[in-house]
Amino acid sequence: MRRGAAGRFAAAVDPLRLAGPVLLAAAWWAMARALPPSLLPPPLAVLRRVAADFLAAPELTYYGLDNASLLGSLLYTVQNVVLAVALGTALGVVGGLLAARIALLRAVIDPMMLTAGTIPILIAAPFLLIWFGVGRGSAVALVVFNVAVVLYLFARRAAANLDPIHEAAARMLGATPAGAVRDVLLPGTVPEILGGLRIALAGAWGLEAIAELLGAQQGIGKVIEVLAGATDVEGIMAALLLLGAVAVVADALAAAAIRRLAPWTTPARLAAA
Amino acid sequence: MIALDHVSRRFRRADGQIVQALDDVSVTIAPGEFVCLVGPSGCGKSTLLQLVAGLLEPSGGSVNVAGQVVRGPAPERGMVFQRDSVFPWLRVIDNVQYGPRCRGMKRAARLALAQQYLERVGLAHVARAWPRELSGGMLKRVAVAMVFANGAEVLLLDEPFGALDYVTRHQLHDVLLDLWEESRARTGRRTVLFVTHDVDECLVLADRILVFRAGRLVDDFPVAAPRPRTADSLLLADMVAHRHRLLAHLGLERAAPRAIAGAAAQ
Amino acid sequence: MTARRTAARDRWVTLGVFMALAAAWQALSLVFTAEAQPGEPMVPGWQVLFSRTLLSMSDYFQGGFGIRPISEGGVRSYPAAVLSLLGNSADTLLRLAVGWLAGALAGTLLGLAVSWSAWSRRLVELPAQFLRTLPLLAMVPLFQLWFGSYFIGKVAFVAYGVGVLFFAGVVNAVGNVPQIHIDNARTLGAGQWRLYGSVVLPAILPELRATMLLSLGAAWAAVLGAEYLGAQSGLGYIIVFAQQFAFLDRMFLVALLIVVYTSLSFWAFDRLSAWATRWAPAAG
Repeated sequence: MRRGAAGRFAAAVDPLRLAGPVLLAAAWWAMARALPPSLLPPPLAVLRRVAADFLAAPELTYYGLDNASLLGSLLYTVQNVVLAVALGTALGVVGGLLAARIALLRAVIDPMMLTAGTIPILIAAPFLLIWFGVGRGSAVALVVFNVAVVLYLFARRAAANLDPIHEAAARMLGATPAGAVRDVLLPGTVPEILGGLRIALAGAWGLEAIAELLGAQQGIGKVIEVLAGATDVEGIMAALLLLGAVAVVADALAAAAIRRLAPWTTPARLAAA
Repeated sequence: MIALDHVSRRFRRADGQIVQALDDVSVTIAPGEFVCLVGPSGCGKSTLLQLVAGLLEPSGGSVNVAGQVVRGPAPERGMVFQRDSVFPWLRVIDNVQYGPRCRGMKRAARLALAQQYLERVGLAHVARAWPRELSGGMLKRVAVAMVFANGAEVLLLDEPFGALDYVTRHQLHDVLLDLWEESRARTGRRTVLFVTHDVDECLVLADRILVFRAGRLVDDFPVAAPRPRTADSLLLADMVAHRHRLLAHLGLERAAPRAIAGAAAQ
Repeated sequence: MTARRTAARDRWVTLGVFMALAAAWQALSLVFTAEAQPGEPMVPGWQVLFSRTLLSMSDYFQGGFGIRPISEGGVRSYPAAVLSLLGNSADTLLRLAVGWLAGALAGTLLGLAVSWSAWSRRLVELPAQFLRTLPLLAMVPLFQLWFGSYFIGKVAFVAYGVGVLFFAGVVNAVGNVPQIHIDNARTLGAGQWRLYGSVVLPAILPELRATMLLSLGAAWAAVLGAEYLGAQSGLGYIIVFAQQFAFLDRMFLVALLIVVYTSLSFWAFDRLSAWATRWAPAAG
């Protein structure tokens, strides 16, 4: 246990790994020197832009944005993603676990979900725009749809992979059917479900952003859309950098949550998931 | 000829501690000898094999094979590993012809060669099979055929049959000895280094036994019993003596000698 | 019940489910008869979809084969509609295929180059992770500003999305190649290049299968996203163009076509990658 922690610490401060991001920034900087700033601004200029527009971005007000700051737009986007991921997870997990244990339900839902799992969910975006309008609803619905499909597939597979002997053992030891679900099915499937949650969350940021790009009044996607109209590469990269940073932090939080909630799984398996 | 001159090898474990796997080992092995390396787990016998193979470099001293210092692996020194080393993505016959292909042998020639060695190990009927369709014993036969088909002058076997059942292991002893004797008769040499911790296995196979403990070479003696050896060979007086000697080295002497001593006292 | 009979039953149920969905759609079209515009129903029944809606695809025909496009005074016709669908499908599929191939090739080669040594592997670990986490679909406008909204812009975008996945997948998979296979090949006389060709490449294939399917999904999303946000042709372009006039029937028809294409592409990929890794023991 202690060696594991020491190993993680050693990996975290491994100078070679830490040199990687520096190298990436250096490569960006070198390319920016060769290209005009209107095409590729240098990293520092983008960082300065993030700082300048973070709390108030007057130029965005000209384009009619309700909430003319990067922070405000980001908060709108984050709210939508959190709401949608929560809703989608609830729908997907309940559906997946039920389908794994009820054969008829599985036979009916599986074909739809497996098809939905392969088609790009993005295809639904224009329909949702017509049905839900350009408000919060269409973007959230798109992300809910995607998260629910991914988590359905993960939960269903996790429950199918769980050796039925554990549930049988719990029942034999005197657990009620509900108790077997609580004590065996849920903890047994949690690691894989959380792995699926991480994947769904990673995809959610891009879907939310493009839904906002296609039609919205606010959000980081809307910011990118108006800046694209003004061919402001620096502004776009600032918005993308911020969104990327949020996605990285959210992923790290999800990974930490997995370690806490399912400490018996090995890191290697999570990496594979 | 294989010559190890004051060879040592250290490892750094994950927790930072230094482990001395081999400590100042010097030994010379004549061409054509069948040598078994025996000792408890972690005594350095596998490390020695990997040094000769060129998969590891010594921390001190030098390893010479046929007058050349070993620098990295080469096809003259073939190795059969403890775990399954057969490439799962190649069909059985393509595994056997892999080494000759690396050397640039013509397709027709290497296919014929591979077919010939598959017949020798009794696997001609599964030449087109995938390795996953084979049992553990069959996979070992493939691994042995791969090394012999490559024509290595030195064969290094690292507990190759340790995970097999009793019957399969004995069948593979026969396969190995047949191939070795045939090719020794043909080329006049073909040295074998065979790592094991099975006392009976090394008595049946070896011309000479090297015993290791804690990284040091602690014993070195010849086994002169005539070949071919059978289970009865193990009952020869010489063999029984060798056996006690090995059991003593492995820390199992109390099991055998006391029983004998007790029987004599009555 | 045996596994085979269960599988056969599931196939029938699958067929039944899709038939039921189609029937439900037809029922909905009879109940819900609102029209977006005169003659353009919000919920078009199948008889409408395969007559009027299909015919309206002529609007997106750009001419050729002696048939005049609508913009030059031509009239709607079934040949023009079918040619229009085929032409726009070809545009989308070509962008997808070229982008995917370029991205897969570049990502694999870069990944192999980086995994040549453990040092470079450690060096690129964090940057690769960051680029993978960066939301791909939000980057469409950036690629349009960089590469323009023509063929090359969409191909570059698809290639980037696929390339990042392949790069990360290859680096990870090379790290997992069993040492024993590498040692075995080296003792049999394989040099560094042959080691890569005959050991590393086949050994990473089973693990790359997941990456391939993932990247195909990403490629479809990328090509649609790029066509939504700026294109003069392609299936995604038709959908967004129709959406501006709320032509739900046209959107629905093209979306169905895309679902057919994606399902076929995944099926083909699955078969192909299963064949390439047929030597591997079945994964659990």
